[in-house]
Amino acid sequence: MKACIVYTSTTGNTEEVATAIYNQLVSHIDTDLMSIDNFEFSTINMYDYFIIGTYTWGNGQLPTEMKALYQRIETHANKHLRTAVFGTGDRFYPLFCGAVDRFRDMLYEKTDLAVTFKVELSPQQTDYNKVPIFVDRMLAVQVS
Amino acid sequence: MKVDQPLQSIKLLNPAQPNKSTGIINGQSSGILNWNDISHPQMYELYQTLLGNFWKAQEINMQDDVKQWDRLSDTERDIFLRVNTQLASLDSLQTPTMTEVMHYVTDSSFKAILAVISQQEAVHNESYSYILSSLVPLSEQNKRFNEAKEDPIVQKRNQLILDAYQQFIDRPTPQHLFELAVNSINLEGIYFYSGFAFFYHLARQQKMLKTSTMISYIQRDEMQHAYFISQFIRILLSENKELNTEANIEYIYQTIGKAIELEKEWADHILKDIDGIELDEFHNYLEYLANKRFRQLGLDNYYPERDNPMAWIHVFSDEMMNETKSDFFEQKSRTYTKVSSSNGFDEL
Repeated sequence: MKACIVYTSTTGNTEEVATAIYNQLVSHIDTDLMSIDNFEFSTINMYDYFIIGTYTWGNGQLPTEMKALYQRIETHANKHLRTAVFGTGDRFYPLFCGAVDRFRDMLYEKTDLAVTFKVELSPQQTDYNKVPIFVDRMLAVQVS
Repeated sequence: MKVDQPLQSIKLLNPAQPNKSTGIINGQSSGILNWNDISHPQMYELYQTLLGNFWKAQEINMQDDVKQWDRLSDTERDIFLRVNTQLASLDSLQTPTMTEVMHYVTDSSFKAILAVISQQEAVHNESYSYILSSLVPLSEQNKRFNEAKEDPIVQKRNQLILDAYQQFIDRPTPQHLFELAVNSINLEGIYFYSGFAFFYHLARQQKMLKTSTMISYIQRDEMQHAYFISQFIRILLSENKELNTEANIEYIYQTIGKAIELEKEWADHILKDIDGIELDEFHNYLEYLANKRFRQLGLDNYYPERDNPMAWIHVFSDEMMNETKSDFFEQKSRTYTKVSSSNGFDEL
């Protein structure tokens, strides 16, 4: 069993959350952590757990660099792939973490979506407290 | 680099130097901008987001608000005009200040973004004038602007920012640029929010929605400006170790802290007679807001960590602003049904 966390980060907020999730997850399962720039799309099907991390710009759009990953999962993923999506954003926008919602709706239909997780800007203590829960939900099928 | 040595206003063109600047201040830079070859590529995305926000006041028809104006209470009308002229006064400062900074920044992509920010502040300024012209005669407008200039609370809160801006104009050193930038976060990221709260509160009651639509456009712009300035400060500190001192980090905490106290005072003053806004809750909101600004600057929270206590203070949705702009991809991605935790996954 193997997990992968693919993320994009401009200011480092999403990277902070990705690292926290990685540190928690790696104690349970072999995990790769990589930025979208280094991710090879053809390897998606090597993983049993696939976690996406994305920030949200402006009015809730996907960041440009995440669009190809979105389309790849849309066309190549299968219902057995256990997925999760997390992200950072700003609650002053009407669509808080809109990019997480975009991924969520597609992942729900195309994959086995386990959990979503939204953080405002850089993570605070209450967010760090949610990381173990996020990982537990992700691995729920495996554990039971 | 000496932090107290004035920066030189840079030459328009330096052909021997690279297009990709070696620093945001004191950098080697030709002065020619090629967005495909810049030191901080994320700035291109920010620039495009700013342009995507383009709007103008005249596109919003004020007729509905004109009809409602007479039905507002005397208190509401009074606060409306005071907030409007006070925000207009702040924006009036921001346009020339951003232009001033532009003269000393060596990275051409930052100059371009400052030009767009300056332009947007001019639009904001105009929108307040446009709202005023729809609602009250010029004599009343002038009276209100004079009151705003003389109001001791307004003067006190503006002084914090004015001092920092003026000292950079008088003596444009790196230290003064840093202090200007921190106060710019106060202006764009904190001082607007009592005003925003007032207008969005009217909107919650279906009052003066056209004005609130403009306020919403303004907030959307200001959020990008505060984000840009926080990135500007982070890059300025990381590129210039002499500025990255404990004293300057302390300066950020102290200065934003002071702005929060002044904003609380202003809020107590203008919102005290407005039903439905609890002042204690608004104080908590301001502290939540300040924590966000600190985290945007890569610093720790200064105030207790708390959830947004006034979630209704936010930019209107596109639907509400009748916006139709969206690219092909955005339309396509809407084909999925919106799902939630009731569909069998967890939302944290």
